[in-house]
Amino acid sequence: MRWSVLSLALSGITTNVLAINLFENTAIVRTIEPAGALVHVTTTYAVKVLVENANSYIFALSEDEASKTSKMHVSLKGQSVQLGIKEHGVQDGIARYTTYLPEGMAINATTNVVVERVLTRAARPWPTQASQEEDQFMKYDGELFVLSPYPTNTQRTKVRAPSSRIARYNTPEDVSFQTDSIVTKSGATITYGPFTSIPISANAGFISKHQRPISVQYHYEHAVVEVNNLVRTAEISHWGANLNVENNLVLHNGGPELKGHFSRVKHQMQMYMGQLRSHVLPAVSLNLPPGARDAYFVDLNGNVSTSRFRPVPSVPKSQSARQSSYLELRPRFPLMGGWNYSHTVGWDQPLADVAAYDPTNGTYIVAVPLLTPIATSVVNDLTFKVIMPEGATDVEVFAPYKPLSVEHSTHISYLDTVGRPAVTLEYKYLTDSHTDSVYVKYKLPVVSHFQKPRAVASAFFVLFSLVFVTRRMDFSIRKA
Amino acid sequence: MADYETVKHLHQTLPAFAPAVPVSLLPSLASILLITTFGLAFYFTTLSKDTFPAREIGVALTASALGGLGVVALFCTVGVYV
Repeated sequence: MRWSVLSLALSGITTNVLAINLFENTAIVRTIEPAGALVHVTTTYAVKVLVENANSYIFALSEDEASKTSKMHVSLKGQSVQLGIKEHGVQDGIARYTTYLPEGMAINATTNVVVERVLTRAARPWPTQASQEEDQFMKYDGELFVLSPYPTNTQRTKVRAPSSRIARYNTPEDVSFQTDSIVTKSGATITYGPFTSIPISANAGFISKHQRPISVQYHYEHAVVEVNNLVRTAEISHWGANLNVENNLVLHNGGPELKGHFSRVKHQMQMYMGQLRSHVLPAVSLNLPPGARDAYFVDLNGNVSTSRFRPVPSVPKSQSARQSSYLELRPRFPLMGGWNYSHTVGWDQPLADVAAYDPTNGTYIVAVPLLTPIATSVVNDLTFKVIMPEGATDVEVFAPYKPLSVEHSTHISYLDTVGRPAVTLEYKYLTDSHTDSVYVKYKLPVVSHFQKPRAVASAFFVLFSLVFVTRRMDFSIRKA
Repeated sequence: MADYETVKHLHQTLPAFAPAVPVSLLPSLASILLITTFGLAFYFTTLSKDTFPAREIGVALTASALGGLGVVALFCTVGVYV
């Protein structure tokens, strides 16, 4: 009897402890900017502190949104400093993250937490097929309510389409917490809400009872560029003081698939009149680092001459680059919806612009950007490989974003004997803003530096020894 | 174990990489070394056959060393940065 009373009392105490919220959301505003391959979502939480000195704020996403989120940046409104994020994984279809606000906030203090996310695979062409003469429309599918483990006073979601040409948007039915209107449209922005007095929503019960889908079909004026498979190789050469970066990629037009056949005549006429539809991709442009030279654009058939390269002079390592070299690539054929084009782009850069040397312990540090992106594109699969000179030891790699896998291997190339150490990183679903550098640190003893000349010299010496031996052999026919 | 920000800061503050031989010198160095290698190889074929081949080995060794460096410089000159 006493035990049951005690356990009842204990459970009462624990539920009371769990029921105390550390924070309350006074307002949540979510702005969704759908585009082509990428969707930008900015959520601003106006947070009120309920318990003194509380600073671990938890925000939640549905499992679907979390799996599509490629980049997340959390900061206080008006500041650009990134706050630390801790992921807690997915439970009951909800992903939770903790972010650490500044310490020492008093009760009823308010602050604004801004969570900026970039989603991939969130917008798709709709209708899924379009002929050469039809326009391109994309559809964004999302959820009406922002989930949160704290109660919310008022919440609103705005979908800002890239142009005011919106074909259709849905009106969710049977919506709770509404005030006056559920959805309003003004220009290119569709506002869902405001909704008031929303309880704790980061649980499966709320999702099944109250969550509703939203969808917006909009006209997209640019081509949807996707890179299905990118193999990026950076090769470091000390003798040539050179960094060679080579990208082998499959370029994919993620717009509506071409309905019917491709008519070259119609295409030429559209180009001449300037009426090329937005789902046709005739060319892509890349911004190469300053100091890039000897750029090459090849595919399986050989060199592709339809390209334009405007190099910019080299900038020393200590200075930040203000200009970039410009490389415009025009594939052999215009990419219609659903078409692919595999090709290779590469260039050389002076090694002094990207490498540092520590004379105290003979360590070299080389910085290679993770991506040289095509604007607004998504990279579905990236294999990033850095090849160090032969004989490099103590290889360490520091990546700006957590890779799916890191692998050390040996790469064999020209004039190699033992092979060059290489590091391979794997990534998935990168956006055009994943451009930070990967740092590779290694040591190269002077003896290894001369490995190649020694190898060639031994080959020459073998030749000389052969001649030495054959000179002393007599092949003349002598009299018996 | 340094972390990303430490390495980034090190990379920005340490002196830039400088090659052992300036890159602009590599084409001329390649031609000089390879012509010398050719000359020494030619001389090697004219040497008499001694019982103790000191001269032959000496010429072979220098020609190989110069040839090794010359071929690496040649590769870098034509754009294959080895």
